[in-house]
Amino acid sequence: MSTDEPGGAPALELRALGKTYGRGAGAKRAVDDVSLTVRGGEVYGFLGPNGAGKSTTIRMALGLIRPSDGDALLFGRPVSDRQALRRVGSLVDGGTFYPFLSGRDNLRVLARTQGHDGARIEAVLERVDLARDAKRKVKGYSTGMKQRLGVAAALLDDPDLVILDEPANGLDAAGIQDMRTLLRGLAADGKAVFLSSHLLHEVEQICDRVAIVHKGQLLREATVREMLDQGEALRIEAEPLDAAAAALEGRWPVERIAGALKVRARRAEAPAIVRTLVEASADIFHMGPDDQSLEEIFLTMTRDSDA
Amino acid sequence: MLDAVRAEALKLRRHRATWMMVWIYPIAITLIVAGMLVYGAFRAHGVPAPAQPALEWIRESTTLWKLPASPPGRFLIAGFCAVVFAGEYGWNTWKLIIPARARWQLIAAKWVVALGFLTIALIAADLITLIGSWLGSFQGDGIPAGVTLAAVLEAHWQAGAHALLPIVYTIAFAGLFAILTQSILATVILSIALVVIEGLWPLIGLFLHQYVPALTETLVRVLPFYHLANLKTWASGAGLTMPLGPDAVVSMSWGMSFAVLMGWILAAAAATQLRFLRQDLN
Repeated sequence: MSTDEPGGAPALELRALGKTYGRGAGAKRAVDDVSLTVRGGEVYGFLGPNGAGKSTTIRMALGLIRPSDGDALLFGRPVSDRQALRRVGSLVDGGTFYPFLSGRDNLRVLARTQGHDGARIEAVLERVDLARDAKRKVKGYSTGMKQRLGVAAALLDDPDLVILDEPANGLDAAGIQDMRTLLRGLAADGKAVFLSSHLLHEVEQICDRVAIVHKGQLLREATVREMLDQGEALRIEAEPLDAAAAALEGRWPVERIAGALKVRARRAEAPAIVRTLVEASADIFHMGPDDQSLEEIFLTMTRDSDA
Repeated sequence: MLDAVRAEALKLRRHRATWMMVWIYPIAITLIVAGMLVYGAFRAHGVPAPAQPALEWIRESTTLWKLPASPPGRFLIAGFCAVVFAGEYGWNTWKLIIPARARWQLIAAKWVVALGFLTIALIAADLITLIGSWLGSFQGDGIPAGVTLAAVLEAHWQAGAHALLPIVYTIAFAGLFAILTQSILATVILSIALVVIEGLWPLIGLFLHQYVPALTETLVRVLPFYHLANLKTWASGAGLTMPLGPDAVVSMSWGMSFAVLMGWILAAAAATQLRFLRQDLN
């Protein structure tokens, strides 16, 4: 089941979105030509280091700030469309709440603002494991509790698109595990989940598709599998190492790592590599896949971009 | 819209600022009335005071309604409005509620709650005053002959109506300052400055008229300061004549001052909405 519009419009679509702060010589391009789509039933990760433009992009998608260029569409409609915007639940800046109200009263205020009676308040409090502390004033909450209340607020009106800015911030290991289960559950219900994060290990486990953003620009958008495949490499332990490296360098990118070679090549190329090494009179002690994490791929891409 | 107002009321009804700057009216009046009743119960009965004319008694009973238009009353209203309108910037909560509703509704809800809370507080304080006067009549000086419920209600209705415009005017400018400065403190400072300028306006007019008489007269007629004072004095029966020089005075009708002041209020409210509609909320 998917929450996309019958006409096929995705839950979230960004078209050449850009934002420039300031004017003239002092102008700063925070987001530049970002285009992506998020569909119902998927968890989409928006990755980037601090200051990459993730939060600015999210704010434009929620209508909090106005884009300098491009469009943000929700369910095929402009972000200024109130009906479309009301189908979105969001958590921005780790959940900002009225500090003088309790967690439950904050959700009541939000429910009223959204125009419903808040019948789901207790259910969402239970879902984020905050029911016991719901009476306490938010100013006494820990960062993790505020984060969980933020997720509860995002889910309050049973939205079709959930936009979360760094949802795992401040959560302990158990909290992160719960968050992972929660987000996958939302996607399983057909909802679209768009989350920004710099916790790449988490994104790798939760997301179906990811986009890597750096210095305001989208470097790559792909499924997590495609991303990981792109970084496929083999780890080879051979002697003499220099001779092995020299033999391979002509055909494959080779990198020396702690007494071994990391060769950027697919598994199917392994026999050719073995033959090359044998021809070069190198002894092979070990050859196996060198699984790259999303983190390594991300670092490589952002480093290349900097270069 | 009703839900937006309910949300705003839920948010603010128990806030410390509401207790200190709005609910303070009925609370303070309750304490004063209770104190006077206790004092009346224990004081030695001496020579009774001469009977007060009914009209004077009724007029004195409406004194409370002069508070919101007085400088201290305006400071309280401005302080409360600073929290209502600028608080969201300090709490960083606009981003929590903006996606849920049209921006103009969020500002309109703040207007309704600010005016509604103040009206409720002042009406409650007024009722407590009247009940206190009625209870006090059993302790000595009775209610003068000729004071009827209908006359009391009419006088209080009029006093309340006259107090409304200064309240709305104060809300309008405090709201505008809050959206422009995005700061509670800056809003309070600007609102206090506005009240001070209003108080000094007759002197400023006299001073400026020596150098630029035509411009000064225009400013007095166009800016809201004279008109607010004029409406206050019209509430007591006659308009305000503001001398600007030996042969120059400004004296305007109630209707003209009402129209000019309404124009300023509408302009401030519209500017607040327009600015907020285009504001980036980071």
